Amino acid sequence: MYVAGVSSTSTYAQRLVTSRLVHRFNFGPTPGQYADLLRRGVEATQSTVLEHGLTDPGLASLAALDLPDLGPIPQGGTAASTAFWNAIYAGQTDLVSWWLDRMYLSRYPLTERMTWFWHGHWATAISKVLYPLAMQKQNNTLRKFSLGSFEDMAKVMAVDGALNYWLDNEENYITSPNENLARELMELMTLGVNNYTQHDVTAAARALTGYSTNLSTGAVGFNPTQHYSMPLNILGATAKLNAESLASLLVSRAENAKFITERLWFRFVSGSTKPPATLPATFASRDISSLVSALVHSTAWSDPANSLVKSPVEWFVGACRALRVRPSKLDAGNTQWSLSQMGQVPFNPPNVGGWPYGQAWLSGAAFQYRFELAQSIVTVGDLSPLSVPKSKMVQACADWLGVAEWSTRTGSVLAAATGTPSEFALAALLSPEYMVSA
Amino acid sequence: MIQCEFNRRQFLQWTGASAFAALSAQLSLENLASAASFSPLPPKTPILVLVTLYGGNDGLNTVVPFTDPTYQSARSNIALSASQLLPFTDVLAFNASMPSISTLYGENKVAIVQGVSYPNPSLSHFSSMAIWQSASLLADVTSGWIGRWLDRQPHSPFNAIGVGSTLPPLMVGEKSVASMVDVGGIQLPWGPVASLLPRLGRPSASDAPLEAAAATSITDLYSTAQAFGSLVPTSPTGSSLGQQLSLVSVLINANVPTRVWEVNLSSFDTHAGEQLDQNALLSQVDGAIGAFMTSISAGSRSNDVTVMVYSEFGRRVMSNASDGTDHGTSAPVLLIGNAVHGGLYGEQPPLNDLDPNGNLQVTTDFRSVYGGLLHDVLATPVGDVIPSWNSALSVH
Repeated sequence: MYVAGVSSTSTYAQRLVTSRLVHRFNFGPTPGQYADLLRRGVEATQSTVLEHGLTDPGLASLAALDLPDLGPIPQGGTAASTAFWNAIYAGQTDLVSWWLDRMYLSRYPLTERMTWFWHGHWATAISKVLYPLAMQKQNNTLRKFSLGSFEDMAKVMAVDGALNYWLDNEENYITSPNENLARELMELMTLGVNNYTQHDVTAAARALTGYSTNLSTGAVGFNPTQHYSMPLNILGATAKLNAESLASLLVSRAENAKFITERLWFRFVSGSTKPPATLPATFASRDISSLVSALVHSTAWSDPANSLVKSPVEWFVGACRALRVRPSKLDAGNTQWSLSQMGQVPFNPPNVGGWPYGQAWLSGAAFQYRFELAQSIVTVGDLSPLSVPKSKMVQACADWLGVAEWSTRTGSVLAAATGTPSEFALAALLSPEYMVSA
Repeated sequence: MIQCEFNRRQFLQWTGASAFAALSAQLSLENLASAASFSPLPPKTPILVLVTLYGGNDGLNTVVPFTDPTYQSARSNIALSASQLLPFTDVLAFNASMPSISTLYGENKVAIVQGVSYPNPSLSHFSSMAIWQSASLLADVTSGWIGRWLDRQPHSPFNAIGVGSTLPPLMVGEKSVASMVDVGGIQLPWGPVASLLPRLGRPSASDAPLEAAAATSITDLYSTAQAFGSLVPTSPTGSSLGQQLSLVSVLINANVPTRVWEVNLSSFDTHAGEQLDQNALLSQVDGAIGAFMTSISAGSRSNDVTVMVYSEFGRRVMSNASDGTDHGTSAPVLLIGNAVHGGLYGEQPPLNDLDPNGNLQVTTDFRSVYGGLLHDVLATPVGDVIPSWNSALSVH
């Protein structure tokens, strides 16, 4: 069933492209935004979703999250120990709420959306790192470089405390290397598998010796006497290397442009099609904003094959933005429990490879928690966009949520749900069309 | 210490195999109960249960060459002491976290295939697991070995089933895919909208494949809830692998017409603090398999079931300073069953003759293990499933 949009001139193709761009690069439309973008056209939509780098007025109401340095773990069974663990868990919860609020509040959400992508790329989990301050520091780094130079990002991340600890680099010594960080830096973060040898991994581990992390702050120190200072042969080049120069070397490889391009394509465009061969050239200077702009202006958006499942956080934040529910206004414990049951709490990816994708998010077991989240949002949400005559609610809802079109199935369910706006909104948020970016 | 995990979700994501999973049926227990009633598995049909250990299990601390002086000297910080060992020959012992498997070995029901990997082993989790699951050294083979076996069976959603919510590539064929069944309690939606939500699970002609999958997830919740109760506890207790294998044993004993089952456990990537973590994981494997074999042995399919336990690689002979081990190569594969001829197969790779990376040599190709299972359990010519391979190591 094709439900015509606000403008008789907006075709299904335009509705699809607009829906994809605003959901995938901006966490979904705020009320009225989708209809506005349809009126303004695809080019204006492309420019709008790319806006970033400005002082974001949306974030003005967000208080700074000043996390304390909680220091070393006290001996168990003491009052200090109880206070410490209470502070750790409170800080972890506050940190997640803080980031969800940023995603919700942003007037120019591309920066948060890219930070979210890079968090999955440099996937580090608080389950091991423990200290929220170290994770916040990493998060601020990812935000700072989210649309900047990937080389700069890689150089800073190579000496990021949370990442170093997560991948055991504090246990990496000249006489007894631990290859974990070296390998994943190449395989998952810069080059992709098979673009290096075991010899390269061993040498890269040596380049990464001498660094130690103060985990409670995330600060990384360097001890030259524990650093391997002889020349290293990596990927055919021989030079003295430390973490930063190793990162630069890896990023300079042609494989890096192809790999990063593919990772963005995979997460923003499609898990089933490949990026065009010309795309890595847009990343030749390693400027992330150039690559993102090329993606936004890609012709791929009209290809029906390029559908993606929204991850639980993307779905949740999108619903919050549409219903004007600031995530921190909800019960943080309930929200984060439901997200964890769906498999995605920010700052806690399941492993160094980052988040699952696609159909992995669509189990029957996950649907019961999706329902609970939707229920909590709808209960306090602004449902005024549904204040239209019953005969127009189905169409108004598609424009409100940024859905290109409802299927016959969902159209008929929504038509039967016009009794109360909350029942109607709940059904819409739980529809296959809203779970998926078609 | 919590390890940086390599698990199945991650593997699926990197192989892109989840795209295939959209076509996989999520079976409810009701579907399975119905199938067991209307087309039960014929008596004496062999059944294969695959236990995938994600992350690279340290074979040398699983089946331990405890008298080899290099074992002590190369990994003094993680070498198991006498009290942590259950010797079964003069030179080999099980990790003491494996009392049930040790007992089964004593009953001649455990075959240990030693030194298993493939030529020029990859030290990447992703590449190596892809090789094990596809049974091919070629990167462009995306079908799995059980998937290709499925391609050759009369079509049925019950032929092979994975436990969980996402399908491993080993069960994806060129034409067919296995089905899935989930473990877990169910709380159905409530309130005025509850009566409408099941209708959102119906297919619609305009659905993109992923939208159809989203709709199916809704229907799955309702059909599973309907069927849960009598067969399986609503809120399963025990370890993750224990819950998975408990469900499989119930379904096997109920004569569900399934020839291949897959269960899995993650977190074997023990770069640091290995002993504590690996012992706990092996204890979970051992407890789950012990309970599984007890349940199977008490049922009507006592002699039909063969369990294979494997991981994508073993670990470095020399431990690191983090009391852990980095990625390695060959490791033992365990084959367990009442009809298995227990004992040692293949050769233990020497600890003092390593490859240039300090890793164990490969003495048995994993495709020969698959070959034996294809011949003995799945009654299929090896070359049909693994092209240009004809070696089969039989333990039956």
